[in-house]
Amino acid sequence: MNTPLETRIVRALNAIVGPDHVVTDPERLVVYESDGLTSYRVIPLAVVLPATTEEVAAVVKLLHGEGIPVVPRGAGTGLSGGALPSADGVVVGTARMNRILEIDSDNRIARLQPGVVNAHLTVAAKPYSLYYAPDPSSQSTCTLGGNVAENSGGPHCLKYGVTQRYVTGLTVVLPSGEVIRLGGAGRSARGALDLVGLFVGSEGCFGIATEIEVKLLPVTEGVRTLLGIFETMEAAGHAVTAIISEGLLPAAVEIVDNATIRAVEASVYAGGFPVDAGAALVIEFDGTEAGLDADADRAEACCRQAGASEVKRATEATQRAALWNGRKKAFGAMGRIAPDLLVQDATVPRTRLPEVLARITEIGERYELKVANVFHAGDGNLHPNILFDRNDPDELDRVERASKEIMCLCVEVGGTITGEHGVGVDKRGYMQLVLGEVEIEAMRAVKRIFDPSGLFNPGKVLPDPASPPVPAEASA
Amino acid sequence: MSVVTSLGDVLPAEALSGAEGGALARVARGAEAVVRPRSPEEVVDAVRWASANGVGVLPVGTGGRTTPARGDGPFMVLAMDRLSGLEIYEPADVTLTAKAGTPLADIEATLAEHRQWLPFDPPQVSSRTLGGLVATGESGPVATAYGELRNHVLGATVVCGDGRVLRLGGRVVKNVAGFDLLRPLVGSRGRLGVVTSVCLRAFPVPAKDRVLLLRSDDFAGLEAAARAVRTAPTLPASVVLWVRPTSQGAALLVRLHGAELTVDADQATLERRAGVSFARADSELVAEVRDDATDAPVVVTLSVLPSRLFEALGAARDLLGHSSVVADAYSGTARIALAEVDTDTVRALRDTIEEMGGALAVEAPDEGPEVRAAGSRPSDAETGVSTRLQEVFDPSGVFWPCRA
Amino acid sequence: MPSVTHTASVATAALAGAVEAQKERLLPCVHCGFCLPACPTYTRLGNEADSPRGRLHLMKAVVEGRLDAGSEAFRTHIDRCLGCRACEPVCPSGVEYGTLLELARHTATSKVPPGWLTRGLLAVMASPFLRGALFLGGRVLRVTGLAALGAKLVPALGPLRNARLGLAMLAATSPWRPPGRTSGSAAAQPMVPAGSRPTVAVLVGCVQEGLYSRVNDATIRTLVANGFEVVPVAGQDCCGALHAHGGDLERARSLARRNLDVFTAAGVELVVVNTAGCGAAMKDYDALLEDDEAYAERAKDFAARVRDATEILAEVGPRPGAPIQTSVAYDHPCHLLHAQRIEQAPLDVLAAVPELDVRVIANASECCGGAGIYGLTHPDLGGRIGGDKVRSVRAAGADAACTPNPGCMMQIGAGLRLEGAREGVVHPVELLDESYRRAGFYNGADG
Ligand SMILES: Cc1cc2nc3c(=O)[nH]c(=O)nc-3n(C[C@H](O)[C@H](O)[C@H](O)COP(=O)(O)OP(=O)(O)OC[C@H]3O[C@@H](n4cnc5c(N)ncnc54)[C@H](O)[C@@H]3O)c2cc1C
Ligand code: SF4
Ligand code: SF4
Repeated sequence: MNTPLETRIVRALNAIVGPDHVVTDPERLVVYESDGLTSYRVIPLAVVLPATTEEVAAVVKLLHGEGIPVVPRGAGTGLSGGALPSADGVVVGTARMNRILEIDSDNRIARLQPGVVNAHLTVAAKPYSLYYAPDPSSQSTCTLGGNVAENSGGPHCLKYGVTQRYVTGLTVVLPSGEVIRLGGAGRSARGALDLVGLFVGSEGCFGIATEIEVKLLPVTEGVRTLLGIFETMEAAGHAVTAIISEGLLPAAVEIVDNATIRAVEASVYAGGFPVDAGAALVIEFDGTEAGLDADADRAEACCRQAGASEVKRATEATQRAALWNGRKKAFGAMGRIAPDLLVQDATVPRTRLPEVLARITEIGERYELKVANVFHAGDGNLHPNILFDRNDPDELDRVERASKEIMCLCVEVGGTITGEHGVGVDKRGYMQLVLGEVEIEAMRAVKRIFDPSGLFNPGKVLPDPASPPVPAEASA
Repeated sequence: MSVVTSLGDVLPAEALSGAEGGALARVARGAEAVVRPRSPEEVVDAVRWASANGVGVLPVGTGGRTTPARGDGPFMVLAMDRLSGLEIYEPADVTLTAKAGTPLADIEATLAEHRQWLPFDPPQVSSRTLGGLVATGESGPVATAYGELRNHVLGATVVCGDGRVLRLGGRVVKNVAGFDLLRPLVGSRGRLGVVTSVCLRAFPVPAKDRVLLLRSDDFAGLEAAARAVRTAPTLPASVVLWVRPTSQGAALLVRLHGAELTVDADQATLERRAGVSFARADSELVAEVRDDATDAPVVVTLSVLPSRLFEALGAARDLLGHSSVVADAYSGTARIALAEVDTDTVRALRDTIEEMGGALAVEAPDEGPEVRAAGSRPSDAETGVSTRLQEVFDPSGVFWPCRA
Repeated sequence: MPSVTHTASVATAALAGAVEAQKERLLPCVHCGFCLPACPTYTRLGNEADSPRGRLHLMKAVVEGRLDAGSEAFRTHIDRCLGCRACEPVCPSGVEYGTLLELARHTATSKVPPGWLTRGLLAVMASPFLRGALFLGGRVLRVTGLAALGAKLVPALGPLRNARLGLAMLAATSPWRPPGRTSGSAAAQPMVPAGSRPTVAVLVGCVQEGLYSRVNDATIRTLVANGFEVVPVAGQDCCGALHAHGGDLERARSLARRNLDVFTAAGVELVVVNTAGCGAAMKDYDALLEDDEAYAERAKDFAARVRDATEILAEVGPRPGAPIQTSVAYDHPCHLLHAQRIEQAPLDVLAAVPELDVRVIANASECCGGAGIYGLTHPDLGGRIGGDKVRSVRAAGADAACTPNPGCMMQIGAGLRLEGAREGVVHPVELLDESYRRAGFYNGADG
């Protein structure tokens, strides 16, 4: 049980951002108890919604002075509990910081506030025939601030790279409330260490990004999308390897497995996949129109050689949407067939995919769990989704154990415990699988540079037995 | 020599053979010893010893791109050339792990067998070592299409100033497990530690690598074409502006990568937009331009927003008379080679560039400290964070010879 | 744990019953947040509790007994929802937000009744007599120009600002006539034989009948001109949409049962509605009456027979009329676009008017802030949302705003009037009707 914020502090917060943008009533705070990972719930002392860098700085400074923990929050779509509140802390949300400050089409950069929704940037850049490349599947709602904090990826990151590649400058409010500017386009010749790169992926532990400068790319002239249907995941996996070994550089290569196909077909989003297909592969090429058919032909040949029973091809936006449908709707479809869904995230060397998938299936069977795979095959970034019912304690326990086994497996073959969703609160316990105590200690030391008093997004990323994560079951 | 003798207690004699000449000898000038470790363990031993004995450490690859020790005091050169060889290369993964001293030429040869390459083209790229490339963090102009080196370093092993060995990142292309300490390491020029092994992402060799060329008597005559190319709807592999010394003219080199049909179409697009027709050039010219403006007593590098590159070069005209300039017109950086330099001129240029929102760096190994100090500096806040980052990696400051 | 759990009481648990029964509908919400950017209240306020996901979370908290349905927090945020249902089409899990909202409102209002304004209006709408009187008064104010005058004179701020908005809305229901005159000749048009298409009935509605009877007439004429047989159905009542949205599910159900009875008795194949909100409500009669044993099956059948006027006209490809040289700024009504998922039909109807310049406004898929009586109950937020809509309409630079829903017509029209703008407001079917009139379709033989 936490003592509520002192009236004096609430008043000070009100004075900074206006009382409409401070939430302190526990009944209202309940909506902030989780992010996209609902198995953790913690109700914060307050939520503050500032509108400018100055307001963020003043809020953070005040809270720092009072020794109150701060948790930054964007759209709350994170899948590792990064924006999970601290029970004795205040959430600083960027929902009102949603202005695009500048699109410099000549230099292909944009400056924006952190609460801007990823897809809105691309919409705003469209009149200049530019777009923002990193496209997490949540792009229609997640914020650039969240993307920066998580170093988010997406289907097209196979060719274009993840968030880090596009961030050129940041304005950051440090945990002390001090405002600093890092990087900046056109200023590379200063010989500075890459602090922008260090901040990207810091999961809200180093401060709040209040202004973000990113690179934009020219909209590509043409796109070809292929959908290959395979009898087995293994065959699809071989097709992926063949495509890459051909020297092709697709923009995206995504896989859905049979369990996912069944889920999609059983839902309102039925996409017309054969339900007995073992796997479906979505392959996309983009770039100059003239070369695309040749690339698509070669990829199609790879698929057929690997045993594809069918390969469809699309050029037009509507056809493309149809081919992507099964991939894009997978998440929602799964939400409808099971009460709870654990979206896992791990990366393995691409060549190990067939083996890893077989072993994941085996793990699922052993624990009597339904595991549906839908993932970024080109990057080797797996998302084994475990379907379960939280109200069944035995099943919950099996989910936990299977998860851990899957993580160990991925690490064993040379992979890692998270490819894009971050560590947050959920994967802290797995960090020792991939990092030794020296590395973890170095990370702690780097965290202290930014946050000497340890008040910023505490209990995230680094294993720290002092404040263990609180799963919903424990708090219920 | 006492240093070598006591080093001999921790390292075998073979690791201690000195610098025989060339680039290594240049950076070894004034060094107490040159250590050439053959294993990561020997690196650790050398660094530990240095740290315990108050001796600075200057890690070098080949020495070709290293700035000699900055500052006074006893220091040793840690030459990484013997720590060489591929560790893991699975062509179908299109990633490779190699020891830091591996010459890039060797890596390129191995990759080429599988029609893969590393899309980085900084000056003298082939004569660099992998670790050296990572330490300088230079990508070269093909970053336009492929992204920068820092985005393709997937993992690295680094020996810290106190002998700790950090294994950062991994060998998969997407990895967000923990804070990204790799990023500041790339381009840290030895300030954080000695890189002993690196995992990189490679790329398939494009079917065609076409080089387009446009010449002009004066670089200003290329501004419109450069702008048309860099804002075109198609993204070239690189757009390089080359200014030759003393009225030998200037040229714009545009590289296009892709299938034959693609580069044909891209060329047509660029020509239509720029209203010019390009000549073709070959890869030898690309290499010549790439390596130009590096081997000079003073190299000034400036960066501005690409839209202001020509304006910046205009401001630098006073300096340009007898120098070569190689500029990446897509990113807005330019390298100017100078035979000699007048500190006041550099300072004035720096001020102008900074007013334009840009920055300027000076490399002048043989000049006095005030010339080197004439370059732009990171902000105080950035310097503060950087200094503390150095303290995390190198608590006792053994890598001082790498610092300004 | 924090004190929300303490507010759970036995009483709440009982009252949560209605929502409790909807657990099935709540569970598919996976908390992904895809609905956030679509929500006009969230994008303006930035508070999670004013987002669809937040409201669903509050409902879940009520179901779990962690939050009191009568709490100020629950009531405020559920009440602040526009009910525009923009959150539905973007939801990957297909959460039926609209239905849940009605139940949540019902749960909340059973604990704490809504304000007098809402209660009063709902009572009036449910009574043919009272609403007749109200609308008669309204028409008098409109015809005499008093509504328009009042809207101009009453100060924008202060105690009477609601009255000002109300008067402006009333004034906005005045007809708008496009420029130009009769030009076509009926003979040139291919004929659709009378009665060659299904027999239909037109919902007369409450507000529609009171203030927009001209749209009802236009609907009937254009249907007939396209070969439908239109049967008058006496005894029909308000569709109950306002009541359902307001949480008065009992009244909504009784209105639904009455309509279901009379329309079924009339034996028509389809029921045509020219009001997006009413159409959406009637297409949802199945959900509304799902627990009513006597009606559940029939409601399913009935719901499947409801058509929006533009939907049925677009389905047959309305015959083109005479040209009208004017431009209109088109806006999607939420209850057509989001609730009924009808986007193209009204544009197809407008396309049957030759030379009409149709400009879909920026952010046409966002709510205009009308949402029933939202503008009256939430003047600040409603005003902001409405203000943005009026700006988009005016940016289109057309002669009139055009949207197939009277609520939106009133809201946008009022906004335009209060800004002293010259644009009128018109229903797409009115334009089609005018185009037919000019073409001479209604002249004797062809009528
Ligand atoms: C259906 C679905 C699909 C997804 N698909 C992908 C995918 O394809 N790829 C992918 O990478 N992720 C994906 N995600 C995960 C998630 O969307 C991303 O991690 C996203 O970047 C989070 O953004 P957000 O605005 O929701 O941030 P939040 O969840 O609110 O916060 C995430 C983290 O960022 C911190 N933070 C937020 N704003 C700031 C700021 N301004 N400064 C500093 N720290 C900040 C928070 O403290 C927290 O640690 C998906 C999620 C869902 C629900
Ligand atoms: S989009 Fe649907 S599933 Fe996602 S949070 Fe909103 S209502 Fe829930
Ligand atoms: S109905 Fe409209 S206002 Fe209400 S939650 Fe959904 S989008 Fe928001």
